Amino acid sequence: MENQEFEPKIVAFVCNWCTYAGADLTGTSRIKYGANVKIIRFPCTGRIDFMLLMKAFENGADGIIISGCHPNDCHYSTGNFHARRRWVVFRNLLNFSGIDTERIQFSWVSAAEGFKWADVVNNTIEKVRALGPYENYKKINVPTLFAKEDNNE
Amino acid sequence: MSDILINKVKQLLSDKAIDIFIGHGEGTGGRIRPIFVRTPEDAEQLIFNENCKQSWANYLLKPEVKAAGKIGMMATKHALRAMMQLASEFQIKDNEVLALYWDNNELKSSADFKEIEAYLASQNHDILPHEQEMIDKLNAMTTQERWDFWQKEYEKCIKCYACRSACPMCYCHHCAAEGNQPQWIPVASHQLGNMDWHLMRAMHLSGRCINCGACAKVCPMHIPLNLLTYNLITPIQQEFGAIAGMKHDATYALSTFKTEDKENFIL
Amino acid sequence: MARVGVFVCHCGENISATVDCEKVAKESGDLNSVVFSTDYKYMCSDPGQTLIKEAIKEHKLDRVVVAACSPRMHEPTFRKACSEAGMNPYLCEMANIREHCSWVHPKSEETTAKAGDLVRTIVEKVKKNKPLQAIKVPITKTAIVIGGGVAGIQSALDIANCGHKVIMVEKQPSIGGHMSQLSETFPTLDCSQCILTPRMVEVAQHPNITLYTYAEIESVDGFIGNFKVKIRRKSKSLDENLCTGCGLCTTKCPKKKIPNEFERGLGNRTAIYVPFPQAVPNKPVIDRENCNYYQKGTCKVCEKVCPVQAIRFDQEDQIIEVEAGALVVCTGFDVLKPNFFPEYGYGKYKDVIDGLQFERLASASGPTKGEIRRPSDGEIPKKIVFIACAGSRDPAKGIEYCSKICCMYTAKHAMLYKHKVHDGTPYVFYMDIRAGGKMYEEFVRRAIVEDDTKYIRGRVSTVFERNGKLIVRGADTLMGAQPVEIEADMVVLASAGVSNPDSEELAQRLHVSYDAYKFFAEAHPKLKPVETNTAGIFLAGACQAPKDIPESVAAASGAAVKVAALFSNSELTREPVVAEVNRQAPPVFSTCTGCFLCEKVCPYQAIEREEIKDRNGNVIKTLARINKGLCQGCGTCVALCRVKAIDLHGFSNQQMYSEVMALLNF
Repeated sequence: MENQEFEPKIVAFVCNWCTYAGADLTGTSRIKYGANVKIIRFPCTGRIDFMLLMKAFENGADGIIISGCHPNDCHYSTGNFHARRRWVVFRNLLNFSGIDTERIQFSWVSAAEGFKWADVVNNTIEKVRALGPYENYKKINVPTLFAKEDNNE
Repeated sequence: MSDILINKVKQLLSDKAIDIFIGHGEGTGGRIRPIFVRTPEDAEQLIFNENCKQSWANYLLKPEVKAAGKIGMMATKHALRAMMQLASEFQIKDNEVLALYWDNNELKSSADFKEIEAYLASQNHDILPHEQEMIDKLNAMTTQERWDFWQKEYEKCIKCYACRSACPMCYCHHCAAEGNQPQWIPVASHQLGNMDWHLMRAMHLSGRCINCGACAKVCPMHIPLNLLTYNLITPIQQEFGAIAGMKHDATYALSTFKTEDKENFIL
Repeated sequence: MARVGVFVCHCGENISATVDCEKVAKESGDLNSVVFSTDYKYMCSDPGQTLIKEAIKEHKLDRVVVAACSPRMHEPTFRKACSEAGMNPYLCEMANIREHCSWVHPKSEETTAKAGDLVRTIVEKVKKNKPLQAIKVPITKTAIVIGGGVAGIQSALDIANCGHKVIMVEKQPSIGGHMSQLSETFPTLDCSQCILTPRMVEVAQHPNITLYTYAEIESVDGFIGNFKVKIRRKSKSLDENLCTGCGLCTTKCPKKKIPNEFERGLGNRTAIYVPFPQAVPNKPVIDRENCNYYQKGTCKVCEKVCPVQAIRFDQEDQIIEVEAGALVVCTGFDVLKPNFFPEYGYGKYKDVIDGLQFERLASASGPTKGEIRRPSDGEIPKKIVFIACAGSRDPAKGIEYCSKICCMYTAKHAMLYKHKVHDGTPYVFYMDIRAGGKMYEEFVRRAIVEDDTKYIRGRVSTVFERNGKLIVRGADTLMGAQPVEIEADMVVLASAGVSNPDSEELAQRLHVSYDAYKFFAEAHPKLKPVETNTAGIFLAGACQAPKDIPESVAAASGAAVKVAALFSNSELTREPVVAEVNRQAPPVFSTCTGCFLCEKVCPYQAIEREEIKDRNGNVIKTLARINKGLCQGCGTCVALCRVKAIDLHGFSNQQMYSEVMALLNF
């Protein structure tokens, strides 16, 4: 019951050339999706550092979307292929460490797939909402002395 | 065995075939420690017995060792694999390091990558049965159980970085854990920072780990952190056909791709 | 301490209809480092841009965040405006609160809050932005065209006519390529030589074109605008400046029975030879493999008869190094080799020939002076069978693609045959007739209707000899897969067009990618059909895939325009979004470990090795270095680098990290 109130925080890591443009098209087409997804723009999925995904969960993300160009469509021709290999390995590692890979949605969304982007977002929101807040991370004991240990300033 | 080794090293040193030899020596409390032999006389301190399973490959790139001149090393199977992996990452060259290794009770010596590869190809490189058992046990758990298991382990970590020091593949002179612009890994050893460190380390070793187990062996808190990287060995081999440390000119699994790589998890 | 200005755009009502822009602007003003924030109806309009420019001056802003539409739309606009106000343009970033916010969410507090989150995130990012300078690369205005077929000729002439220097490198002793071997061309049946040779001559005489025949690319270094290319000029054993091309040597050479490559083995040539009468340049070369002097040490007849003493037996290969700003690869294609079709008897029966051989038989300058006579006994074949898709569209043979040109040239062959042998009967075995193209379908219809070519839809299983006839056995699938047997006098295979045997090697020398069939790969199959992944290297013609003449010529002109556009400025300006390997003071020089695992991930071969040497010249360390001319800024190497020694300008580790942190922590 409580989960119905819960609005998950979702971060989307997307490439500039396909998914970011696809999400632009979702906008131009006025297709609606949940406001709890926020997009971070990368030049290419190949640029997405796995460390950033770890940081996203640590800092309160309940779900993550990673999306780029379909295979063979990469603006840089092969960046997404390299990214895909890394994801296979990283997912394996996360899974083995007990991190819920259900909370990470990988997708290929092209610049023409405005509808698909809205679907990916809405489905991910549904899925993560059902999973609930990522309590495991929130429960990790970080001594207050270190709680503000980040590098923003 | 020790005598054969001592004589061989003495000769190598007096012939000036090598300038320094990294081998096994007697430590305190019956432990084995690495010793660095520079003169034929010092070679007397070398030992070799069934307890000498340690790989000293992590010393190969140390500036202090390299400065001594041509390096010889008592090499276990894992040390040889480390050499091949280091070679594939352009850290050592062919005929640069003279490896001594036992092949069916015969002491062989080679600095030739092709010879070492041939020897390695004849050996079994599976991880130990009890390690595999542990991995299987973990994989059979639920995600939450695995999370709880590892959190308990991460909680113990004191961030001494002994795992990093012992690992032959952790040779970066400026580890990403030390980077503070941005501060990827929190400095203090709290649970979150510890998890960050271990996941980053495992990811950096994926496709490069030669399963020597040094990281777990040296861990003062007995965290089975070798399992993190061991668990990746099988999928990487199955999915990408890559195995670390068998060929001096192998391509790193994550440096390449196939268009038909698996993507059943991608929408 | 950064001084950030935030400018929130209403976009008329496109944003303000669902987002409370005033509130976003007001709350942004409270963010750390933000010293000025405001909202305006149309930020991209002239007054909007003026507002930004004035605020930069008045409030001494050193960073600007424009919260408006997608950066893919107006980032250049606002960066230019900032630049005009004296700010480094790369210190301006955009928060996308239209496409990613106001247009996809309903009017609500949540939507306004999201807009605020996006602004805060970009403010944190922009604080980590570093001033960047657009990369200027000087351009050497010389193009190298590799291959002198019809595509190469077209490209070279187009570039040269734009006033730029061109160096053409052709492997064979003459330019002309496969087109010069053709008899007549579909669908107009104009003579190939008649339309091609004038252009060949034009190449040779063009003041802007330097022609190197019998030459190959040895190596290519450098990057767009600044290639350094080594060309191997194979020895022709001839002083070309002295030779007048009188041809006396070729008539006197005692080695006369060498299969002529130009005639596809249907005719002979001498050891010192000009490949064909209209060759450009029309000067001979000595084929050392077949020359008596080079093989046995005696002869030198050519030297004795040469009226100008142009023969140079001791001439060696010459390597010349040239600088070029761009390369156009037009190396063409090859035709499947005979051993590919044991079942069709190619190579076993003299009268089973391939399409190019038929072209030579039909050519007025060919070995039979244009009469269709079969190779075995010189008789005129009365029944002739053309087999289409010989190798093409056959996964079992490893060639899954359609060779595209065969349907058309097979129809042409049948037509030419019928025009020359009026009482002959041409048969065509085909899988499908693919005649897409201007006047193409009409052409095929003509072959069927006017020239009475018997088209049989089905594949040929075998060709064998019986009583001096070639028995072609196949099936007619339109007659219920009924077996068909034709007693033919000659069989012509429309052999698949394949990549050149050395294309893989050349691709590696050029650092361009190629497909599974070793054809060169274009940068984008639709939008960049003449570009390669390597900036400054372009493609044209059948080296990409089998193409007909109009397509090759169109691509060649397209590539030429790309080169001309590149050469229209003396400098090339590039976005400074490129990767860089850090460098620092000794003793470590860089955090790069020199593992070079990044080398292979780069799609552009932009990662080089730099040796750090001490003052005695000893190598201390080998580090990665990014070639800014080649890097396109994808950042794949950045995410791979364990030590974080590589960073990407514009999307640096600090910027991305700050974005993630700011998005989630508040």
